[in-house]
Amino acid sequence: MNAISLALLKTLLPILALLALASLPWYASFATQRLLVEAFTLFVLAASWNLLAGYGGMVAIGHHLFVGVGAYALFALCTHTGLNPWLAWPLAGLITAAVALLVAAPLLRLTGAYFAVATWVMAEMFRIGTLNSDWLGAGAGLPLTVMRDFGRFERNAGVYWSALAIAFVTLIAAHRLLKGSLGLALMSTRDARQAADANGVPVQKTRLTLWVVAATLTGLASGVAHMNILQVSPDASFSLHWTAAALFIVVLGGIGTLEGPILGVLVYMLLRENFAELGAWYFIGLGLLAMAVMVAAPGGLWGWLSGRGLPPVFPVRRRMPSATEPSPLPSTERKPQP
Amino acid sequence: MGALQVIEMLINGLMLGALFALFGLGLSLSLGVMRMINIAHGDLIVLAAYLVLSTTPWSGVGPVTALLVSVPVMFALGWLLQRGLLNRLVGRDPMSVLLVTFGLSIVLQNLLQEIYTADTQSLDAGSLATASLQIGDMSIGWLPVVITGVSVAVYGLTHLLINHSPLGRQARAVATDPETARLVGIRDRRLFALMTGFIFAVIAIAGVFYGIRTPFAPSAGPDRLLFAFEAVVLGGLGSIWGTFIGGLLIGLAQVVGAQFHAGLGPFVGHLVFLVALLARPNGLFAPR
Repeated sequence: MNAISLALLKTLLPILALLALASLPWYASFATQRLLVEAFTLFVLAASWNLLAGYGGMVAIGHHLFVGVGAYALFALCTHTGLNPWLAWPLAGLITAAVALLVAAPLLRLTGAYFAVATWVMAEMFRIGTLNSDWLGAGAGLPLTVMRDFGRFERNAGVYWSALAIAFVTLIAAHRLLKGSLGLALMSTRDARQAADANGVPVQKTRLTLWVVAATLTGLASGVAHMNILQVSPDASFSLHWTAAALFIVVLGGIGTLEGPILGVLVYMLLRENFAELGAWYFIGLGLLAMAVMVAAPGGLWGWLSGRGLPPVFPVRRRMPSATEPSPLPSTERKPQP
Repeated sequence: MGALQVIEMLINGLMLGALFALFGLGLSLSLGVMRMINIAHGDLIVLAAYLVLSTTPWSGVGPVTALLVSVPVMFALGWLLQRGLLNRLVGRDPMSVLLVTFGLSIVLQNLLQEIYTADTQSLDAGSLATASLQIGDMSIGWLPVVITGVSVAVYGLTHLLINHSPLGRQARAVATDPETARLVGIRDRRLFALMTGFIFAVIAIAGVFYGIRTPFAPSAGPDRLLFAFEAVVLGGLGSIWGTFIGGLLIGLAQVVGAQFHAGLGPFVGHLVFLVALLARPNGLFAPR
């Protein structure tokens, strides 16, 4: 195969894949669509958690805060104004961004373990607050009654396309973000915060940008995921299970890589579809598997594959401009740790 | 509300806080000395309560006496966890311990649910749970008084261990400067295994009194972790008595908060924690 047809294939393949996925409602069952909505939204959740943890060094155990806020923003807008859910959806994303900015004031002062658990405290406060708010339906939560106005095909296809769109946007946004100057600032902050600070990297601004981007993506994905479920409630929407799912997906797939969450979602969905009926034992197995991967192969599945010579699908590696000779400097890309 | 009820409420808040302080002690030690956070800390407190629940029927002893079994068992579990798993992560990215213990937390919650079902359980301490102390017109439960006494005693013992024992000296050295401590021959991994054992022994004590005081379920762990964590951060890192005071403040905030609205106790506790964090990011009693 010559170079031109290879380049053509590299451009055509993603377009064809996207077309095949976009036309899916015309040839696949509702059950398949609903399963893919879950896969796409879980991917966004995992990828945005990975942006924070894998690139920003910010392990947000309270990531489910944004799941709850995004879902409740959408449902409250639809319930109280009767707005079309697909018009309320971007507004819910904006509201999640605003909440992220608000809670950043205390949270982004913290780093490491303190940041991790403090985000959890914040999510817990929002859960208790929602539980005690009659306007938000208190303990019972809110249903998405406006969905009744749409036919079955419209509803399923609409939710499916939204999920596909947000997954696609997340992939592109994460890739662009990491290839640009923010990516460089992030990786230098993650790897040597003080050195980055001393060299003029706007550490706090970088962390804040990442925080708000991850929150918005998560809030939008959560809106779609809950359109699929048609019900929000404090305990289910502000549940630690969302963060646990994101963490398992990222750890299994490969933390700090763009390919990791994609592989991770595949593995996660496969495991779930085959073993979820085991109930508690399924979670015990999943937890043990994630622990084993963290200890023995911290690079996850993608780290293992790329250690065996598989080239990156989404390269964000930087090479020094080498006009005369190859640069002796190490790349900034994160290597799987030994 | 009369002045008497206010005083009673404050005393109850402080005594609840003494239990939270007991939750926080282990976390304070692991963050302060080992620079590790164990996300499963709360689930281990719940596990300790279940351990006693399983010990009392066949031994026929009360829950407090069952500590004779649960303290050594928990010590051994802690030693094993540190030796077999967490010590492998020393010196790696600090995130590793966080992620691994998060996995452990999910495993423990589901294991407890599989063994004991999701039903709420409680430990029966007989008359200790119901007896109360009359001071004038005030009525104070004996149980919280006992818990407060135990908490102070455990803190006192830990203080002695840290400040007046060879192992405590090593712990202080590692906390101040891990590299130099290693350089002068401190075997930090051996120290860490013993420390985690000690932390688990404290968890065993915290767990039994938690189980006597409050009905518990397999999913109760995360809340215990959050209260413990708030006590540690509020008090300031590296000061165990700071953690004690932090625990008292969180307990006080929760009891006062619950007075305004029954469902908002923990919410007010969290709020006090965040406000304090904004005002004093390094905690109230961090050593200068």
